[in-house]
Amino acid sequence: MSEKFYALLLRLYPAQFRKDYGNEAMRLFRDRLEDERGFFPRLRLWFDLVCDLTVSIPREYLRPASSRAVARTSAVYPGLYVIELEPLRLSALLSGGVVTVFAVGMVYAALISQAQAIGAKKYSGGLAGDGNKPGIHERARMNSDSGAGYGPSASVASSSGEASSNSNSESSAKSANGMIAKGVKLDDAERQRVIAAASIELRKHYVNRDAAALMADALLLHERRGDYDNVNDAVAFAGLVTQQMRDITGDRHLSLDFFEEPVPEQQPRTPAEEIAQYRALMKQKNCTFEKVEILPGNIGYLKMNSFPELAVCEAKAVAAMKTLNHADAVIFDLRDNRGGEPAMVQRMAAYLFDHPEYWYNPRENTTERSWTQSPVRGNLLADKPVYVLTSSQTFSGAEQFCYDLKMLKRATLVGETTAGASHAGVFHRIDDHFGMGIPEVKAINPYSQNDWTGGGVAPDVEVKSFDALDIAQKLAQERLLSGAGTRRH
Amino acid sequence: MPKRKLEPLPSAAFQILLALAGEELHGYAIMRQVEEQTDGKMRLGPGTLYSSVQSLLEAGLIEEREPRSETKSETKNGEDRRRFYRLTFAGRKLAVSEAERLADLLRVARAKKILRGRYV
Repeated sequence: MSEKFYALLLRLYPAQFRKDYGNEAMRLFRDRLEDERGFFPRLRLWFDLVCDLTVSIPREYLRPASSRAVARTSAVYPGLYVIELEPLRLSALLSGGVVTVFAVGMVYAALISQAQAIGAKKYSGGLAGDGNKPGIHERARMNSDSGAGYGPSASVASSSGEASSNSNSESSAKSANGMIAKGVKLDDAERQRVIAAASIELRKHYVNRDAAALMADALLLHERRGDYDNVNDAVAFAGLVTQQMRDITGDRHLSLDFFEEPVPEQQPRTPAEEIAQYRALMKQKNCTFEKVEILPGNIGYLKMNSFPELAVCEAKAVAAMKTLNHADAVIFDLRDNRGGEPAMVQRMAAYLFDHPEYWYNPRENTTERSWTQSPVRGNLLADKPVYVLTSSQTFSGAEQFCYDLKMLKRATLVGETTAGASHAGVFHRIDDHFGMGIPEVKAINPYSQNDWTGGGVAPDVEVKSFDALDIAQKLAQERLLSGAGTRRH
Repeated sequence: MPKRKLEPLPSAAFQILLALAGEELHGYAIMRQVEEQTDGKMRLGPGTLYSSVQSLLEAGLIEEREPRSETKSETKNGEDRRRFYRLTFAGRKLAVSEAERLADLLRVARAKKILRGRYV
């Protein structure tokens, strides 16, 4: 009975909508009928349906016809609010007005009343809540091996299936923290302690002594003047101090970070067990080389979801590159790559040059290690066109790969601007919840004053990362057809 | 490429993006997930849900999962097959930026002390 009635109501929707989603809507209704038994749940169900019909029927009629026709092809723009100026009936306009008022009210009310609930529940579960965990691991790892790694432990974690749900670009992690932090308010004493410790750490470790003294004095002065008195929110406080340090030096690798979860006091040396686990995981995950294949047109395609430790995964890397060796162009897919070990980044890059090339690493001084080990024996890829696919989730070491290849004009970046994390500062723990990133060496960046820290690496061809592979494939094919396959040196 | 008009992101659309942040879901599961993540405050009806889904599909923020062969063979006709949706990169990115925007808004609200200790 109920079902028939709802089926009748469904007829109020435009035919196209019924065709596309009628069955699904009916099914949803049946599911709810089944789950919500009893007088009040049923009453609520019908109340929901009445509200739903009032809102969504006019909306569907107001949807532009062209948009309706192409609804099922996801590549087509635009979407939500473009209404064509075709003549409308008065009734449609009226109901449209009512719907608009209602919808605006709902959005507004929802924004205010649910921001808290959304933050607490969902960010911690899906979007960025785990953001600070890899952060800690990553930083801790850096601490224990003097800043040599891009946090392989973190990238392992992400490559084991969380890659898509971890978005810990620094800013988003911070925002999420800001929303889920439970009563993380600072008092005077804590602020004083953090500032005092921060100035000491800066003087002790920052690469430029004079700038360190300037920053330390400035922070202490701010503190004495009471500039932090109203900054009770831990995340905001960390952000403010970070900004103040950067304002003085312009060094975006400096940061004061807040961690909701306590930062372990001392990093034990990596136990053998952990290394064994890492090896086992890498074996199981094929060293995060998700796909190595030759696409139509003899275009090599390598999807790497991290830059794993060279000591563990070198053989896999070599094998992957060997598979691609006879390709006419190569696409590196780093859209899900969360970084890893700089040594692996540099090892992979070596294949793309026929002579040693200066390889900028924000964490190292200029040494012989800053050059790629090119040429690689037997390698045929040094002069082949290279495309790198990026997304906003491309992170840390993966961004180094993008940045350097872009600066060297050795690759075409296709996709989205990357996350903007370099972890170039060495981590120094201040207390359970605060730590600092302080650069201890001055890496020579021959390309630009700022690297990708904060801003990310902008692609050469900006497309949705979802479409990046298609576009890169097309670009590569066009280029190969036009006979410009061989790169000039 | 035309610029997308996603400002502001409708509340229901944002909730759907959040629901799909964890895993791919079908319509009814999305509705339940949204209900759960809003403490029961938002129960998307079929019309609103699929209207939003359609808009999100058009904007490339979510995509429909390719039907799996086993589910195809399980059902006798296509009518009963559930459609699963998942986030695209663009959808995830938008959800993150929307979350950041809300976080900023909340920060202002706190600074103005309009929440009077009700916030966490």
